[in-house]
Formats: sequence, C-alpha cells, structure tokens
Amino acid sequence: MIVRQYGLLLLLLLSTAVMAAEDNFAFEDPSQRAAFLRLTEELRCPMCQNQNIADSDAMIAHDMRRKIYSLLQQGQSEEQIIDYMKARYGDFVHYQPPVNAATLWLWALPVIFAGVAVMVIVRRRRPELPEDMAAKLAKADEMLKREQE
Amino acid sequence: MRKLPLVAIPLVLFVLLVVFLFQGLFSDPRALDSQATGKPLPTFELPDLMDPDITYTQSSFKGDVTILNVWGVWCVTCAVEMPYLTELRQQQGVRFVGLYFDQDLDPDFGTKTLSRVQQEVTNMLARFGNPYTYNIFDVYRDTSLDLGVTGAPEHFVIDHHGVIRLHHVGDINERVWNNKVGPVYRKLVAEMQQASAQAGEP
Repeated sequence: MIVRQYGLLLLLLLSTAVMAAEDNFAFEDPSQRAAFLRLTEELRCPMCQNQNIADSDAMIAHDMRRKIYSLLQQGQSEEQIIDYMKARYGDFVHYQPPVNAATLWLWALPVIFAGVAVMVIVRRRRPELPEDMAAKLAKADEMLKREQE
Repeated sequence: MRKLPLVAIPLVLFVLLVVFLFQGLFSDPRALDSQATGKPLPTFELPDLMDPDITYTQSSFKGDVTILNVWGVWCVTCAVEMPYLTELRQQQGVRFVGLYFDQDLDPDFGTKTLSRVQQEVTNMLARFGNPYTYNIFDVYRDTSLDLGVTGAPEHFVIDHHGVIRLHHVGDINERVWNNKVGPVYRKLVAEMQQASAQAGEP
C-alpha cells in the first residue's frame, strides 16, 4: 500500500516536467539543439522583462524562438544570433551586459569600495599620538603623582 | 575641525544615493532604447492586407512622410487610439500606414483564414474609423521583429527618404501628439517641402 502511495507521489513529481510547454523544433544535429537551448536561456524577452525567451509565453518570445531556430538552420553561430537580436532589441536582450562606459561601474564600484575600506582599516591600525598630546599626558601624569604625594 | 571632510563623505554619498534612487521613481523600466531610430527601414516584401496581389517593399515609403502604425484587431489600445488617428488624418492630413499582424495566425500551423482576418479588420475600421492609407500584412511577423517591435501599438515616423526618425512605443493621444510625435512629423514634412522646392528651382 505504502509503496503504491509513494509511487503515485513520484509520478506527481515527474509530471511537472511534462507541464513545461515547448514548441516543436526538430534538430538533426544535437549540438544545434544544445545551442538553441543555451540561446533561449541567455536571451531576454523584451515584453515580459524578467523572463528569458525559453520561459516566456509572450508572442514576441514565440517569434524570437522561431527566428533563432531558422537562423540556426541557416548555419549561423551563437555569436551571430546574439548580435542579430541585439541589433533589433539592444543590449537589453542579452542577459550578459557588455562592458562599456555606462556599465563599467558595475564591476568598478565594488572594487573601489573594497579598496577604500582596506585603506581606512590600515590607517586606523596605527594610532599615532600627536606630540602635544604626549606632552599633555606627561603633564597629567605629573599632576597625578603630585596629588598622591 | 580637520576631521570634518571625512565625516562629510558618508553624508555626500547618502545624498547622491537619494538623488539616484529618486530619479528611479520616475523612470519607466519598460522603456528600451530603440535600435531602429536613424536607420532606414529594413528590407521587406509584403502583401497588402486587403488585396494580396499588391506588394509593398521598403521603397514604397520613399517620397512621403509616413507614420507606420503597428497594430492588430486583438489589441485593445489600438482600438482606443484609432478614433484620434482618424481625426488626425481627416483634419491635418497625416499619412498613416498600418503594419498589421495577427496573433492567432500561427505562421506554421495556420488556423485562421485570410478572409476571416480581413472581415475582422473591416468590422473594426467601420466601428472606430479608418486612419490608414493602406495596411501591410506582416504575415510571418518578420518585419516586426526586424523593426524591434515588442507589442502593439507602436509607431514609426518615417521621412521621405524612407529613414526611421522616431520610434514611439504605445498609443498616440492628444498629449503624445502635441509633445512628441506631432513636432517631429511637422519638421519632416517641412524638410520634404524644402527639398522639393530646391529640386524645383534649378
């Protein structure tokens, strides 16, 4: 009985894989299929903005998948297809942003922040007493001694 | 007193952050930089929606300032803007050309016939007004993809050389026309008239 219940549970778990709807694209070359899966995962849907085009069910995502498929069939490389989409939808469409003047800060800011933090810590490590402070302390010591006497 | 500048650094950083985030409140995350602006129209060869025997290409746009309107009967906002576009056509003589694409019509497994699409379009134009000089049927939605269209309605203001000068995502209403699209359209019409006057002189 328990075995049957667990068996049903297992079937339920497996059924989610069937839910993920996909268009039917036939590939003769497995490497092309892998490229298709990579591209649809890396490219972003311009309509539903936080989904990649593999996930999105928007019409534009359907059209982009269809386009990627036909470009792959024409023998274009992944790089060419990414450039093709970028030429139409901008850098936005690729999840990997290019390094340029505007996006450089994404990489530079954490480094600069860490650098400044290290500098501050190093400086604090050696507290140097100013000369007049040392003199004042000596004076205070003297006063204390006098009072004790 | 010498310590003051150091204390001011976090304050300055905080103020900069506030300014940056405050600006973010008013920016539209859906607004993308158009890649089409400033470029000539992509090459295409598509049929007329109502009469498939007529074929249009990118050079059909040369010689006139046109607003290319991407639309479909399934698009609610398109129906909302249609009466205003019709008014613009009738009162100011603005030239609209429709780039029509259908949502249900799967290019590879077509379920909808052309005559059905034509019937729907005729009904809609009869109801909301017809701003279009003609409609181009983007059968496979390829040209929309080439133009960087993400949905409907979208508008491309095209000059008399066939170059896209403005890409407007969303509907055209009175405010958008007066502040954004209208001035560009009028400027391009003036440019065209100037060019034809110069051509006529010598």
